[in-house]
Amino acid sequence: MNRTSQDKAVDRDLLRRLYFFIKPYRWYVVLGVILTLGASFLGTIRPKLTQIAVDEYIATNDLEGLLWIVVLLVGALIGEFIILVANTYLTRWFGQGTLYSLRNAVFKKIQSLHVQFFDKNPIGRLITRTTSDIEALSELLSDGVVNIIGDMFRIFFILYFMFSMSWELTLVSISVLPILFYATFLFKAKVRVSFLNVRDQIARLNSFVQEHINGMAIVQLFSREKKQKKKFVSINSGYRKAYIETIFYFAIFWPAVEVIASLAMALVIWYGGGRALMDHVTFGILLAFVQYVRQFFQPIQGLSEKFNTLQSALASSERIFSVLDTPNLIQDPQQPRKLPEGKGRIEFDGVWFGYNKDETVLRDVSFVAEPGETVAIVGATGAGKSTIINLLMRFYDVNKGSVRLNGVDIRALKLSDLRSNFALVLQDNTLFSGSIINNITLGNPDISEKQVIETAREIEAHRFIERLPGKYHYKLSERGASLSMGQRQLICFVRAMVYDPNILILDEATSSVDSETEAIVNKACERLMEGRTSIVIAHRLSTIHEADKILVMHKGEIREAGTHQELVGKKDGIYRKLYELQYKDQLLPSIDVKSA
Amino acid sequence: MGSLQKLNRYFKKYWGTIALGSIFLTASNFFLVWIPVLLRKTVDDVASIEDLKSAESFSSITEVLFNSSASPILAKNALLLVGAVLLSGLLLFATRQTLIVASRKIEFDLRNDIFDKLLKLPQSFYSKYTSGEIYVRATEDVSKVREYFGPAYMYTINTLTRAGFIITMMVIVSPELTVWALLPLPFLSGFAYWVSGYINDYSRIIQEQYSTIAGRAQESFSSIRLIKAYNREAHEQKRFEQESEAYRKKKLRLDLVESLFHPTLNLLIGASVIIVIWKAGTLVMEGTLTVGNILEYIVYVAYLTWPVASLGYTVNRFQRSMASWKRIDQVLTEPVEIEDKAKTDSSIETIKGRIEFKNVSFRYPKAEAYALKDINLVIEQGQNAAIVGRTGSGKTTLVQLIPRLFDVSEGEILIDDVNIKSIPVHVLRKSIGYVPQETFLFSDTIAENIAFGVEHASQKQIEEAAEKAQVKENILEFDKKFETMLGERGITLSGGQKQRTAIARALIRDPKIIILDDSLSAVDTKTEEAILQHLRSELQGRTTIMISHRISTIKDADIIYFVEDGSIVEQGSHKELLQKEGYYSAMYNKQLIEDELAEI
Repeated sequence: MNRTSQDKAVDRDLLRRLYFFIKPYRWYVVLGVILTLGASFLGTIRPKLTQIAVDEYIATNDLEGLLWIVVLLVGALIGEFIILVANTYLTRWFGQGTLYSLRNAVFKKIQSLHVQFFDKNPIGRLITRTTSDIEALSELLSDGVVNIIGDMFRIFFILYFMFSMSWELTLVSISVLPILFYATFLFKAKVRVSFLNVRDQIARLNSFVQEHINGMAIVQLFSREKKQKKKFVSINSGYRKAYIETIFYFAIFWPAVEVIASLAMALVIWYGGGRALMDHVTFGILLAFVQYVRQFFQPIQGLSEKFNTLQSALASSERIFSVLDTPNLIQDPQQPRKLPEGKGRIEFDGVWFGYNKDETVLRDVSFVAEPGETVAIVGATGAGKSTIINLLMRFYDVNKGSVRLNGVDIRALKLSDLRSNFALVLQDNTLFSGSIINNITLGNPDISEKQVIETAREIEAHRFIERLPGKYHYKLSERGASLSMGQRQLICFVRAMVYDPNILILDEATSSVDSETEAIVNKACERLMEGRTSIVIAHRLSTIHEADKILVMHKGEIREAGTHQELVGKKDGIYRKLYELQYKDQLLPSIDVKSA
Repeated sequence: MGSLQKLNRYFKKYWGTIALGSIFLTASNFFLVWIPVLLRKTVDDVASIEDLKSAESFSSITEVLFNSSASPILAKNALLLVGAVLLSGLLLFATRQTLIVASRKIEFDLRNDIFDKLLKLPQSFYSKYTSGEIYVRATEDVSKVREYFGPAYMYTINTLTRAGFIITMMVIVSPELTVWALLPLPFLSGFAYWVSGYINDYSRIIQEQYSTIAGRAQESFSSIRLIKAYNREAHEQKRFEQESEAYRKKKLRLDLVESLFHPTLNLLIGASVIIVIWKAGTLVMEGTLTVGNILEYIVYVAYLTWPVASLGYTVNRFQRSMASWKRIDQVLTEPVEIEDKAKTDSSIETIKGRIEFKNVSFRYPKAEAYALKDINLVIEQGQNAAIVGRTGSGKTTLVQLIPRLFDVSEGEILIDDVNIKSIPVHVLRKSIGYVPQETFLFSDTIAENIAFGVEHASQKQIEEAAEKAQVKENILEFDKKFETMLGERGITLSGGQKQRTAIARALIRDPKIIILDDSLSAVDTKTEEAILQHLRSELQGRTTIMISHRISTIKDADIIYFVEDGSIVEQGSHKELLQKEGYYSAMYNKQLIEDELAEI
């Protein structure tokens, strides 16, 4: 019992928070309710008017009076039509408006959250929050609230008109209502269970089909056709059974509703007929009651429907608000410091870090990249190279120690101030769907097309872009799948370059390029690093041997640091060993020339 | 309409049930018509009693209802009414239980037929269509076709019989009034047809926009680092909001039509009722009709609403069902290319395992370029062959031709000097243990997955196979061991565990030929070494074809083929190839360094 009252409190809280998003439209909601009141009145007054028509004009052969009533009826009908259309559209309109702002708010919140949040939550789930969970509120927000009120108005007016004509007949005709309520209640309970079962069976069937379409080669290779067919037939018959069960409930329910409604009519005609003989009830009243009894059933059905809608909407809004309530772990400081002028001096000072509590990815990492310097990081997968970049960009915060930019701890800077110093080229060459130019500027209006073309020329990306249909406005399909790896990489380079950053970060940026484009990419790389502080992570030693400083990482620690020359000179050094392996025939002589 | 005839064949099996259901529905409507008739009769009876015995006065309502000359008339009419209502309801129940149930059974048959066909279709079919396209045909389209057999059929019969009975009764009462009362109804049908079509088309547009929104979210969330690095959150927000706004606008257009729907139905029905009151009112004044007739007509009109509206809806459903059926029919008539044919030599029951490719070229369906060009190779029985080359060079395509997942475009493949097209398909495939590049396991127990390719495998066989593939230990660590469920409803194996399970699945068939398509890529080199060590004895005596990116895996092979751009460019043993200093030795040198890096 305690739990349910708690649940109710939670539900109330959810509704209160949902109201926040409806608030801008609250006067429209009020208008909607007023319109509903009007529609309900005009809809329910028509049987009353027919009663008047029959009793007062048709019975007395008053053709003019009848005409007058018919005019009123037409007026009520058209009035109801206009109000209904306007009102339905109005409620849909503010419903969609609310959903729109809610959807944007959820997207904004998720996007603003720390990177770690994305590690922990599968992308699919986040998409669900921004799409289908919002959609689940659609019914509640666009039809729900106003319709619930409308249904209640309708019931009220019907009862009012019925009682005003004959309270006795009213009581007689609504005496079947308890049966209707009970039948509806029973049906809803049964159908909900059986629909859950159907949904389960559909999911099973569909995922079986999906799986077998994808794995058909395996089925055929292993000659399993017969057995899988058998399995399918058994799942398929489970599905059929589940549906046939729901058919049964519907087959009982719909006729039952009809029977109950007609039963009410039979009562009206029997009792009312008797009353008519006593002159207490007129034929017009009988006519009106037959119509009211039919009208009465609609809003009652509607109300029981809406109750379900409300429940599923609450479940979705709970999930939505739990995202909106997620605290952001990486935030701007209360009083951000201004970044001192400078070309970009990076300092890692005794940095410790782990993605989870019980593991350490970086141990006591310290190094300095002076303005304009190129620092290369070498090491095996998992040595902690990318983590250094994650910390520098403040995707994560260090556990211990400090990362400084131009002498200021990056946690004291505004995030946008910090990040505007960098341009990042990632391993996976992230491209978006959209035109090439948009992929380069990322929608930054400060970057002109002319600038983009000039930059692309500089690093020789212009040539291949020129050959694409539509050139710089060539639309990329599915994240650039139509381009080669090297081309995608070049676009990422142009992007980094037009942003003209103080600091350039290349995370294994050249690892996936085929040998043809490698030369172009290398040249682009060099051009890009000119005059900038650069942090370069690479597998290929060729791209890094000219770095001012090379850090060799191993299991989260910096094991060797120095220039190429220094490290190659180190006996038994890791770097030296790697180097010898890679360039045992070709490059060594050229080194000799250089050092000579 | 040939394809409609084909579809109607599905009716055949259930024609008895469907005929019975149609009779039930007709009878149900027959009794339904009694309701307004009895209402009218009661009112008319009351009026005539009143006229006759205007002097008689009743002291209480109980006297009127139970103890007067009028009470039997009132009671008879009321009871008849209840009887008609109950009969009509009961018959409606029977209708749904026959017609709709039959439609579900037809759906069941149809689904089985499609799935059966999917099992038989060759891989060329699967490469011609996207899996999404095939999926829609096997699922959504079937549901839409079902509506033809179910609701569409039922509503048609319902509309015909109900309208038939009601209009007949109406005409009997007054032909003139009938015409007037029915006047708004054709508009109702037309309107319902237009609206349901519009809703359907527009729902698709909205669904697309919905996918676009989801796509935008997906793109932003999966590139979150880049977006944050370039401070582009605001821009992404704007892009998302644009799509969100487009969605809102499209949705509102549909809402506009939907908000017209119910009010318009209401308007047309209301118009019909008002016409009845006006026309019938004047007729009553003339003395040709009674007040009972007005009541009767109002109920008739109410009963006609749904059947008439559903007519428009049904026509629309029918069109959609047909479009879906055409798509399904396309699949059902697709030729099954790879099956035993006349030239198949059914006397072949086993094979030994010598493989030969003779001038084999291959082109994927719909593709212009050849994936394989003039391949010639011989792998002797029991030999261990390796295929290396870059991603996309055609290695997988080459081995897929051996179990006839695809048939060659030109040239021929021989096993034991017999063209594989002459070997019964099941014999050929039974003799091959294939471990594909992308490990595909089914959402079933581990035991079922391992025993996938053999009839009645014993628990011992399964465990042995797992042992040989070096995955048994991992499996025994799970709570339910070999009965552990995989996939959606179960656990997810790691990449390496999956691959080894797939190897066990191939080994349990005790095949003459084993094909390992990069089957250990998900484990590190050391683990791979250990697994191979064990596997080697198991592979002894079988013809083995191994595809790998790792030199360490294949350097001991009897013969290595280097595939580049669909052709074999180098072949020989590891030593021979290294001496050539060509493709193979370049690849070898590159890998040495990477291995070294991994080891420091």
